[in-house]
Amino acid sequence: MQKDKAIKIISDALRQEQETLSEYEAKQVLAAYDIPVTREILIRDKNHLEKAIRKIGYPLVMKGCSSRIVHKTEKGLIHVDIRTVQEAKKAFNEILAGLKGFDGGILVQEMIKGRRELVMGMTRDAQFGPCVMFGLGGIFTEILKDISFRRAPLKKRDALDMMREIRGHKILDAVRGMAAADKKLLTEMLMNIGRLSADIPEVSEIDLNPVIICGSKPVVVDALVVLKNA
Amino acid sequence: MSGKIKKNCSRGRTNDPQTDYERIFHPRRLAIIGVSAEESGTGFGTGMFKAITAMGFEGEILPVNPKGGTIAGLNIFKSVEEIPGEIDFAIIAVAARHVPDTLEACRNKGAAGAEILSSGFSELGTAEGEELERRIKDIASTGIRVVGPNCFGIYCPASGLTLLPGPDLSRRSGPVAFLAQSGGMSIDFAHAGKWMGIRFSKVVSFGNGADLRESDLLRHLKDDPETKVISMYIEGIQNGETFFQEIKAAAGKKPVIVYKGGLSRAGARAVASHTASMGGSGIIWKSILKQVNAIQVNDTQELAQASLAFATLPPKTFKGISIIGGGGAIGVTACDTAETYGIEIPPLSADLQTRIYDYLPKPGSSAINPVDVANPFVAPQVLKEVMLAAAEDKRIDLQIIVSLLFHYKMLALMFNKPVVEVTPYKELAQAVSDVVDQTGKPVIAVLPNARKGVDNLDIIEMIAMTRQEYIDHGIPVFDELHDAIRAIAHVNTYYGGRKNAKR
Repeated sequence: MQKDKAIKIISDALRQEQETLSEYEAKQVLAAYDIPVTREILIRDKNHLEKAIRKIGYPLVMKGCSSRIVHKTEKGLIHVDIRTVQEAKKAFNEILAGLKGFDGGILVQEMIKGRRELVMGMTRDAQFGPCVMFGLGGIFTEILKDISFRRAPLKKRDALDMMREIRGHKILDAVRGMAAADKKLLTEMLMNIGRLSADIPEVSEIDLNPVIICGSKPVVVDALVVLKNA
Repeated sequence: MSGKIKKNCSRGRTNDPQTDYERIFHPRRLAIIGVSAEESGTGFGTGMFKAITAMGFEGEILPVNPKGGTIAGLNIFKSVEEIPGEIDFAIIAVAARHVPDTLEACRNKGAAGAEILSSGFSELGTAEGEELERRIKDIASTGIRVVGPNCFGIYCPASGLTLLPGPDLSRRSGPVAFLAQSGGMSIDFAHAGKWMGIRFSKVVSFGNGADLRESDLLRHLKDDPETKVISMYIEGIQNGETFFQEIKAAAGKKPVIVYKGGLSRAGARAVASHTASMGGSGIIWKSILKQVNAIQVNDTQELAQASLAFATLPPKTFKGISIIGGGGAIGVTACDTAETYGIEIPPLSADLQTRIYDYLPKPGSSAINPVDVANPFVAPQVLKEVMLAAAEDKRIDLQIIVSLLFHYKMLALMFNKPVVEVTPYKELAQAVSDVVDQTGKPVIAVLPNARKGVDNLDIIEMIAMTRQEYIDHGIPVFDELHDAIRAIAHVNTYYGGRKNAKR
């Protein structure tokens, strides 16, 4: 746990009057709390693209990354399953155009393969303070609203209960040839979201969606961290 | 902002042992301030005086009114100061502007607490109302605990304290405590409890909750030996953190049942993330209550039914149940309902089925489980044998007997006798009670009534008498099978959750 590192990232963002962290910053904060995130490199210069590709490896995902842009999919700022330098360069140009002068960079990210998508998050309830969320992720989050909450700090049992509580809890089992999800790791992730929220009141909301189960290991693929507007 | 927090902290009372709840709930010397000497007096103070007298309050009542006079042969003191000696508790029903001074006078008389029935405080939303309530808080913080203002007060069957319009509540104590801000909800719950067979340790309506509120009362009731079950209706709470800790501690020791009113959808909130937009008060409350292993219900009826189940059933889970009844497609509907709530109705073992089938009228009966006794006139003695046999099956943890007694109206008409005379309800209650004694497995009685019109008031009366007979034998009664099964499921959730927590 590197609380200080997380606090520094957030203080810097607040100084820049950011309302949210960029995806890159958010993932660094999460990683500081031992929450597994995608391997990724943020570049601004096209000349750094090939080096980044060599480090991350194909297939990869490229995303526009700016704290000023929240909904990337709708703005054409996400390119997935990139397998050649040509595709990567094309994606770089298109994303750069899409950023339209927003302050930001381009994220070169490993592509996580897995058919199961979860959501984790945190909201601050007016009465009860930070509450951690767990549920079905991806496009199903809003359609099915199959979610559960627990107030932070979470005990191990709370995390296990929230996973058991959703209707679709069997998605975590070994189903259709897929390995059972690593519940121990999921438990730690939920507890660490709780710790992060308790430690840093400046974080007002968190959305980790999707969290993809890759083999048996959950990985945070996209992250939104909303900061408290002073 | 910082000033607000500071204010909260200064009021936060941690040294709870100072509060003398014994003198609050069981006062020996009780002042009622705002009692009118006039025979026709209809004020809250006079109403409360009459109600408490009717309840047979055993302590000393000390009525107060500046005009003096007498009421029911008692001298009315002109002021609190005039009362000789100490008082334990005060009921204050004077105009709002006089409340702070009256409360101060009660404190000076050594009262451990006071309930303030008067309204005209923060609920008005006026600066004057807020100021008066702030003064009440200030006085309360100096050593007198306050229930209210704008409430119906405390009902404690053991002492005879009663809610405002409650001269005829039961004096029999029991295991259930009920808490609500709403006075109307409290009195209705107390009345419902009386006919349903829920006995109370104490009921507190705390109105605006200027001082004693949900968290303080939970902390007290958690350790209150008179209270085994805590039921509450919550509109709002004052401090989420404190409430969470107190309800968690209380639910760790005894069942806490919560009906949370005013749950809104989140849609209107201005938030940026999906998590926050989905985390409306409804789902957060649901989650919080699960997290502390409190039981959430969705209306007052369910609250009362769950309270009854927790108060009357042994503290354990009931996985398998048997259902004995006659007619009305009972088999299918019972199985549907049980499955919904995760309760099993296992087929009885073959030898028990054979034995039970021998007792039953034929054709049309079934001994599998649910046991369909085919007609509503099967004698209580036969039902007893059936239930004794069914209880022998190890998978049966609890039995439900469904009696369609309204059908006895047919016999009443046939023999030209009152329905209450042709219905063997006393024998039925006795038989069921014997079954419980002999098997050690609880039985719940269900008394549906399909005939509730003005032409069937005799049936309503007969069923009410049957219910009372059961209650006198300590058997819980529900109107509908669904209500009973849902209540059992709440008991299962609580004791199952507790077992889970210990692991």
